[in-house]
Parts: sequence; C-alpha cells; structure tokens
Amino acid sequence: MDKVELLSPAGDLERLKVTLLYGADAVYIGGQNYSLRANANNFSLEEIREGCLFAHRLGKRVHLTLNIVFHNEDMEEVEKYIRDVVDCGIDAFIVSDPFIISYIKKNFSNVEVHLSTQNSTSNYKAIEFFEKEGIDRVVLARELSKKQIQEIIQKVHADIEVFIHGAMCTCFSGRCALSNYVTNRDANRGGCAQVCRFVFSNSSEKDFTMALKDMNMAKYIQDLIEIGVKSFKVEGRMRSLYYLAVVIGTYRKIIDGYYQHTLTDDQMKIYQERLDRVANRETSSHYFMKEADYTDQYYSGRGEVSNQDYLGQVIEYNSKSKFVKFYERNYFEVGDTVELFTPNGEQIEFVVEELYDEDMNVVDVARHPDSIYYLYLDTKKDITEYSMIKIVKRRDVHE
Amino acid sequence: MKLLVESSQKNKLYDTYSDGIILPLNGYSVESVQYYTLEEIKEIVKNVSCEVFIKMNKNFMNEEIDSLKDILLELESLPIKGIFFYDLAVLEIKREYSLKVDLVWNQTHMVNNYKTCDYYYSKGVRYALLGKEITLEEIKEIVKQSKISSMVEVVSRPSVAFSKRSLVTNYWKDCGKEGNSSLMVHENGTNMDYHLLENEDGTSFFLDTIVNGTCVLKDLYDAKTPYIIMREYGLEDCFEELIVDTKDYIKGNCLDSSYLEKYKKLGDYTNFFFRKTIYRVKKNG
Repeated sequence: MDKVELLSPAGDLERLKVTLLYGADAVYIGGQNYSLRANANNFSLEEIREGCLFAHRLGKRVHLTLNIVFHNEDMEEVEKYIRDVVDCGIDAFIVSDPFIISYIKKNFSNVEVHLSTQNSTSNYKAIEFFEKEGIDRVVLARELSKKQIQEIIQKVHADIEVFIHGAMCTCFSGRCALSNYVTNRDANRGGCAQVCRFVFSNSSEKDFTMALKDMNMAKYIQDLIEIGVKSFKVEGRMRSLYYLAVVIGTYRKIIDGYYQHTLTDDQMKIYQERLDRVANRETSSHYFMKEADYTDQYYSGRGEVSNQDYLGQVIEYNSKSKFVKFYERNYFEVGDTVELFTPNGEQIEFVVEELYDEDMNVVDVARHPDSIYYLYLDTKKDITEYSMIKIVKRRDVHE
Repeated sequence: MKLLVESSQKNKLYDTYSDGIILPLNGYSVESVQYYTLEEIKEIVKNVSCEVFIKMNKNFMNEEIDSLKDILLELESLPIKGIFFYDLAVLEIKREYSLKVDLVWNQTHMVNNYKTCDYYYSKGVRYALLGKEITLEEIKEIVKQSKISSMVEVVSRPSVAFSKRSLVTNYWKDCGKEGNSSLMVHENGTNMDYHLLENEDGTSFFLDTIVNGTCVLKDLYDAKTPYIIMREYGLEDCFEELIVDTKDYIKGNCLDSSYLEKYKKLGDYTNFFFRKTIYRVKKNG
C-alpha cells in the first residue's frame, strides 16, 4: 500500500523548510501571482527554485497554487509564468480553471495538475469530466461525508486529496463573493477578507454570525487511509512556524503510527491534546460522520483565542557548551517547565535553570520577542535548527 | 440583444413580454427565490412561445447523479433552449449521453475571462452567464473575444454566496426561537443588508440592494451582447413595466434617454460594472 501523503501549507521559504523537516511529504506554496492567498508573503521564482531544491534533496515534493479565478488580464502573462515555474522544478500545479488545466496538460508532461478545492468538486461524475482533461488529482469539496468520499474513490481513477485540518469556509469554496461585496476584496483572486467571520446585526434579534469551527480529522486518519485517500492537506499558508511544526509533526506521528501498527489510544489522546493546544478555535469533523449542524458554528463572533505556548525557536545547539541559542517568541522565565521538541520528533521536557541574553549576561526572564537568548540544557539528543520551545507549566511563584 | 427574465412569482412568468424565461428546477437549483417542479416545467413549455432556459446550478452529490441523469434525459425531449449548470457533472452527462440540449456555463462568481469561456465552448457549451463581480469593460472584452454567447445579469438583487449549511435554522436555534427560513442581516461597515434564504439544499445569500444596470444596456447593446438577464426578486411592484420598457428600449437601439431617466428610480447601485475589485492589500516580498 502506498503511504498517504501529508501535504503542508508553506507561506514562505522558511515555512517550507520547517514543515518538510517536521515530516510533511510535500508542501503547497503560492507564487507572487495567481494564488488564492495574495496576502501571504508568497514565493519569488528564485525562492520557488530554492524550495524545490530543498524539497527534492529530501525526496519530497512541491505543489504550486495557480488557483485564482482568472480575469481577462490575468491570462496575459500566465503562460510564461507556467513555463517559468515548471523550469524552477515544481512537481504539481493546483488549479481551478479548466482552461489552465488543459493548457498545462497539453504543454508539460513532467508536472502533475491537481484540481483545486476552489471547484468544490462533490461527486464522481464531475471528476470523470476532469479525468478526460488529464487531471492527476482532485482536492475534494469540504462538504463531503466519509461514505461520499469512499464512493468517489471507488469510481474514479484520479488521486483524491482531502483537507484534514485547519480553518473552514462557511460557503462552498468558489461560491462565495461576500468579500467582494463587503470589502471590495476579490475572494476568488486571493483577496478573501473572511467575511464569514464578521458579525452581522439583525434588527429584532441577536447578532448573526456564521463563523465555523476549524476542521480536525486526527481521530479519522485511519478511516481516511483505509478508504483510499491519497493525500492529506493541512490548511494554513499564513499560519505561524510553531503552529505548522506542531500540526505537521503531530500528524506525521499519527500517520506513521498507523502504518507501523503502534498507534495506541493513549498516544492518540496525547496527539489530540497537542493539536487542541495549538489551535485558536474549537474543532469539528464537520460533514465527515454526519450532516454539518448547529454544533459546527460559532454564534457570538469569531470564536478565536490567542495562544502563548510558543516560547522560542531554536537557532542552534552547542553540544560542547550545552547552550541552546534561540529567538524568543513569548515571555518565560527561570523556573518555568518547558518542552523542546525537534523536527525529528524528539521531545525534551525540563525546568529552565539558566537563561542568558544575547551578550551572555545572566537574566531571569526572556521578555523581548525576536531577541536572541541562550538557555542551558544538558542533553545528548539531536537538537537542530527549527526545534521549538513551548511552555508546559509556569513557575509556581509561591515555591 | 435578447432579454431573459427570472420571475419571483409562480403565477407570473412574463413570457409574453420578454424573449425568454429562466425556470429554476426544484431540487436541482439554488440561489433563486422561486422553483418549479419538472411537471410544472413541462406544462409551462407547452404554453409559452418564448425561449425557455432551465436552471440546474446546484453542486451535486454522488447520490443525486442518477436522478440528475434521468432529469437531463427528460429535459432533452422538451423544447427548451438551454440549461444553466454549475456542476461539471452536468457537462459530463451531456457528453456521455450525447445530449443535444445546449448548456449555459453558470459557475456564479467564476465566469470571468474569455479564454475559459472559449474552453467551455470547445466542450460544447453554447452560453455563459458572466460573473457579476467583473467590470463592464471586462464583460465587453469577453463578448468581443469569445465564441461563446454571453449573458449578463443587469438588474437584480444579486446572489452573492451559497452555503450547504442550514445557517438560518442554526441561528434561530441559538436564539432559542422558532423562526422562518428567511433572515435579513445588516453589515455595519458598508451599511448594506443581506437576505439569507434557506431551503433543504442550503442557504443562499442575496444582497438586499437593487443592482441597476439599465445604464449599461447601451454599451452592452453596442458590444452585441447576445443576452441580458433581469431577475424579479425585490422588484415585484414594477417588474412588468420594467421589462416592457426594456424591450422597447432595445428595439429602439437603446437610444431613448427617457428610459434611463425613468429607471433612475431603481437606485444608483451599479455593482461592479464601474468598480474593480482588489485582491492584494500588501506588497509581496
């Protein structure tokens, strides 16, 4: 059985590297044009080339989003752009426009074309249409049940990709222009202002909101693998490095645990807790096991909470001096219990005993985000760049 | 330039005043306010002499494909001009069964460029209802460049989004009340109202403001736009008069300035005809 692909978002080159190091099999990225996240940093051609080289050295893949809904003017340069990014080494395009699909399939045999979820493809018959156009993979609509996904897989030849984690659109993808009308920002050209998270008023009753809880399919990974899904997509090209490291690292362990027959209920509980902890919203499996209902929404605003677990990002570890050099992200202090986790899955929990600023002056607290600090940690484990430090327990001030 | 209309009242089709009517098929279409059963459609086509288009613009699920195929085969035998579709399953079934019925590419917010229109034309799609979020200049370019027959919605309360979710039901549940399937909400930033209308297929969002495209008719006429569309919803009081006057206006080569003066009463909201959307709010790099 081919192992399912874990597909991570990467809003920039650093996220690309981090998510691949944390276990993604492939990343999806946006170029500086034609991507539905026009306000992510996005990749220049040089960065795409560098990202592809980095991924391919690890035996991994890069998918490029080209999934805007094209206007006349967008068509003028797109063919040249496609040639340029193919030349950079991308492995697949994610496309919603069938003209573009057809153009790529006619002109480039060395790159796959995946149908974007922007098409909200929800049945096998529509996929049969795209198969005749040469599509290699279809990213399904997020409105489908397990039974519907399974039936599609049984009836089509194209690979099937589904979203497993992250934020959800309230409306069918591609079938919403609320952002255009409310903010003049074009939802289908990468400018979506997430109007479905706005609060609307009602003259006689309470405010109206329709914001959705995020998707979290951790407990259904086994079901998804066994019905034949080929790729698991995580949402969030604009999410933080820490979020991506935790989410991708955790799904890597769940997927590997499934294939190695080592996944236990206790482990799943821990993995679920890690995913819940990093989330800024509650989660649901939405349509997978039932028709989506009242419980999948928020009714009093965006429903988001900020997360300050993330303390630092490791720059390097000196195994002789035992000093961890890191960028501080959130306040912490000597005496706090923290966990350092690494791209290769190591987790080290310890109490911070010694903390130093960039000039190696002893300090009690790390309080300046983005500043460089050092902490002492005596370990033989392999601590690499892009390891992360998170809080486990704050120091008891009464101790 | 032909005028198609979509009525919001079952007892009024406006078939004698317009060049054609659009009938949303119950259970197979969304983002309308009035739907018709297949039996009703069969009766209507027997009794009208104008062009009849059927709207089947829903996202279909696997379990609906068999009945979708059966319906398309039944419609094939009726004297209808075309079928509006969103889901590519419709086009695939047309291809699979070599159906003669013409199709209208109606992917609501996605019909925005002439190359993709031509792509669909090459696949046997004869018409395209252009997106409502593009400018008049973009529309004219599509009409000019594409082989497909373009349709442009010029007067309506536009549908702006569609969710499979029961958003109105959920709202009333949260309020602890029994409410109906219709809800008006207000967006404070723009001071605009939206009308949510829910049925068993999901929730449609309509902007509760009339798009008044009477002022672009001359441009569309001069550009040789094949079809314009007017939807009655929200205009029940004056719709018949509007379409009679519009037909006369077109007949007179869109030169009668009194028509434009008269229909200033519909308001000055011209949607995206003269307003480009933006999508990049911060510079890359």
